[in-house]
Amino acid sequence: MATIEIKNLKKVYPGAKEATIENANITIEDKEFVVLVGPSGCGKSTLLRMIAGLEEITDGEIAIDNVRMNELSPKDRDIAMVFQNYALYPHMSVFDNMAYSLKLRKVPKAEIKEIVENAAKILDITHLLDRKPKDMSGGQRQRVAIGRSIVRNPKIFLFDEPLSNLDANLRVHMRSEIKKLHKQLNATMVYVTHDQIEAMTMGDRIVVLKDGDVMQFDTPMNLFNNPTNKFVAGFIGSPSMNFIEGKIIEENGITFISKDLKFEVPEDLKPCLKEFIGKDVTFGFRPEYIYDKKYEKIKRLSRDMEITVDSIEPIGSESYIYFRFNGNPEHKFCFRSDSQQQYSVGDTFSIGVDINRLRFFDTTTEERIF
Amino acid sequence: MKQIKLQKILFLIVLGIMTMIYIGPFLFSLSISFSGDKNVFEWPISFLPDDATFANYRNVWNELPFGKWLFNSVLVTTIQTISNVFFAALAGFTFARLEFPGKNIIFTILLSSLMIPGIVLLVPKFIVLNELSLINSYGGLILPGLVSVTNIFLMRQFFSTIPKDLEQAALIDGCSYFRIFWEIFLPISKPALAAVAIYTFQGSWNEFLWPVIVTYTEDMYTLPLGMASLRHELLTDWPLLMAGTILISLPTLAIFIIFQRYFVQGVSSSGLKG
Amino acid sequence: MKFSSSKKEQRFWAYLFLGFPLLLMSVFVFFPIAFAFVVSFYDWNLLIPDKPFVGLGNYFELFKDEVFVKAVKNTIVYTMGVVPVQTMLSLFLAFIMNQKIVGIAFFRTAFYIPAVTSSVVTSIIFVWIYSKPGLLNYILDTVGIDSNIDWLTNPSTVLPAIMVLNIWTTSGYFMVSFLAGLQSIPTTLYEAAKIDGANQWRLFKDITVPMVRPVTYFVVVMSLIGCFQVFDQIFIMSSGGPDNSSTTMSYYVYQNSFKYFRFGLGAASAVILALLIFTVTAIQKKYLPPDYY
Repeated sequence: MATIEIKNLKKVYPGAKEATIENANITIEDKEFVVLVGPSGCGKSTLLRMIAGLEEITDGEIAIDNVRMNELSPKDRDIAMVFQNYALYPHMSVFDNMAYSLKLRKVPKAEIKEIVENAAKILDITHLLDRKPKDMSGGQRQRVAIGRSIVRNPKIFLFDEPLSNLDANLRVHMRSEIKKLHKQLNATMVYVTHDQIEAMTMGDRIVVLKDGDVMQFDTPMNLFNNPTNKFVAGFIGSPSMNFIEGKIIEENGITFISKDLKFEVPEDLKPCLKEFIGKDVTFGFRPEYIYDKKYEKIKRLSRDMEITVDSIEPIGSESYIYFRFNGNPEHKFCFRSDSQQQYSVGDTFSIGVDINRLRFFDTTTEERIF
Repeated sequence: MKQIKLQKILFLIVLGIMTMIYIGPFLFSLSISFSGDKNVFEWPISFLPDDATFANYRNVWNELPFGKWLFNSVLVTTIQTISNVFFAALAGFTFARLEFPGKNIIFTILLSSLMIPGIVLLVPKFIVLNELSLINSYGGLILPGLVSVTNIFLMRQFFSTIPKDLEQAALIDGCSYFRIFWEIFLPISKPALAAVAIYTFQGSWNEFLWPVIVTYTEDMYTLPLGMASLRHELLTDWPLLMAGTILISLPTLAIFIIFQRYFVQGVSSSGLKG
Repeated sequence: MKFSSSKKEQRFWAYLFLGFPLLLMSVFVFFPIAFAFVVSFYDWNLLIPDKPFVGLGNYFELFKDEVFVKAVKNTIVYTMGVVPVQTMLSLFLAFIMNQKIVGIAFFRTAFYIPAVTSSVVTSIIFVWIYSKPGLLNYILDTVGIDSNIDWLTNPSTVLPAIMVLNIWTTSGYFMVSFLAGLQSIPTTLYEAAKIDGANQWRLFKDITVPMVRPVTYFVVVMSLIGCFQVFDQIFIMSSGGPDNSSTTMSYYVYQNSFKYFRFGLGAASAVILALLIFTVTAIQKKYLPPDYY
């Protein structure tokens, strides 16, 4: 059992004007893999380090298994942490690095040997046990750092951007390794990353942070499909959601109007948007849900919108098509097309947006309306 | 092509002359120390005297209180070097890694004391030691040199470069702060510790002004002071004097040649602070 | 040991670790700094129990003392002579050392040896070189300059002779500082300047010199502080003579404090020396700041 309860947590660094973490409330369930994600400076690392006990808590409470942790030093919290720069002791061999915490806890030598060798087997680093950190590659060091954390069999594992120093291939590989480890160890894990793809692929649930505030705490699919606000909508998903700032007016029912675009909102959205007549709203639509009218006939698409292709980014399996709406070429938007369809810059054609996937945000509060 | 070659030759000539200027005097001194002839002004001097002899070195031991001075020098240097390394590391770690009330004030006071020229401290230090009845004693020679602000600063700078993650990993592993210092920071700081040790050794071994002031009987002299005190009475015996100076230089020279890279390191790291 | 918070734990260790070093420094550094000023206001003589307060009396006496005025003059001449030459020479040596030559480590060691050798040793060797039948006169004779003088007993040559020794001793030390500075200059800067059309001299003047400016600042400061306090060589080679023509301020401090045991006067002269050093380094910081951009 290891639940983490974070109540009204606040962190203000001495001398800082703004809080780094403001009133965070998060409950992490037992055996859950939770990812903290957000742009740099959002406070995700600070939050993790507060759970670890490396940063002082300004206000609020952190409890592990319903026991208040605020005053406990890191070593008494029964946690383990994997650092971004691995933080291996450079003067100790891999074995000693992994054995160190057990040695400090006065575990008998024979037992230490068994535990370390076992952990090494799980991580496939048995052949490295005699090496020094400087004689290993980044990926190997990463494994040792993870190995160091698992030998103690802690209640909770904390990961602070552990993969950001690895190259792209290795990163993808280690992602699945860590997920596998999570299953094997059956432990609660909290994982910090700035990479939303890493967050989406790894997390059971994800905490999206911005400027010290928790934006949303939800499963990956919910974050993608039902973001609570414009920030989450824009942050999750790549390429980002397209946004158009405009207004709701009463004209043939309810109409969205902006410099680029003007359309009557679909029936099922009308009840929601009625309250916003005369107000500023932001219309959002994901690149995934835009279709070329020529090819897509089945889905419920919006009426035709004429566009001109501005630039193309082919990435192999698909292409990102950047375009402008005809008539008002002020903003650029993006849609994904599979690479079967050939476009070139300057092409003009009609697209439609999947009507079930239209999103509207209140421009002032950025909260989602629909 | 021809011009480049000429340039290179010119360059080598300059280099050769410079080298002679810098080590020539030592070569003369070495040569004279082996000379059996007390008239050392026979020009042109021959670097390998025909009557080469170790007699001068024997006489240094037998005719002068060289053994006693050597003992004093070794004692002072050893204690000061060990003490400086240990306390500089301890204090450097404290200033680099621990938070405690008064830290900034204490550190600022330490740094400002570096700006005070040592000469100002001579009289008050002497008065303090006089009150403690430590004039002309080992205590008086050794105590004022047990810790140095420069060394503390050097170690603090070094410890500041060690990633914070390492100490936090150790905290999570269950280390106390003393263990972090003793088992993590010290073992990975060998180059910096060596630099401090070598600098302290060299400074302590070569120290002249303080022994001049604090000792007044021959049996308390350190080696440099002892040799300097003979400079006038031995003016007629250059080979003996030179043999003594060669012996004084040997330890620092040996340490310098063995640990060259630490010297360079220390100088460049202290150079960065400016 | 049980600590209820990491803050308390850190405080405990910090005070434990700093205890002994701070005690020593208080006795031998902090207290003496303050005490130096106090002593300078008293007619404090080790041999006389009565120590009357004389206010600025010691300072007035100093400025009336011809020897002190001479010492100030000598110290300034010494410093202004040594520092610029030493700095330029060290930079030049570092520049040479930065070339790709076989056996460069040997040359670097050679240039550095005087810096690690005891001042007593170098002084004694140079007493021999500077003596009347010594090496210097022999070399001058060989190249046809008749100079049958004893360099260390001649009032007009004694100070320059010791200055040359000082330059010779410490230039190797500062060379290493400069060398580190030179090696940290990115080679791309030189390449860019070469493409822009700079020749060797322009490279040195427009890239090297400005880029090592922080090192130059450090070298000049250290060199200044060292020169203003020059003592060992004076003590060993000339004892301030002849006729005080090589008496520097620190030698004056020594003489009054520890030969005549006039601590008050000695402390006052040391304070003036400290003020002089402060002033000069402050001027340097103002007009030759360490940063180059």
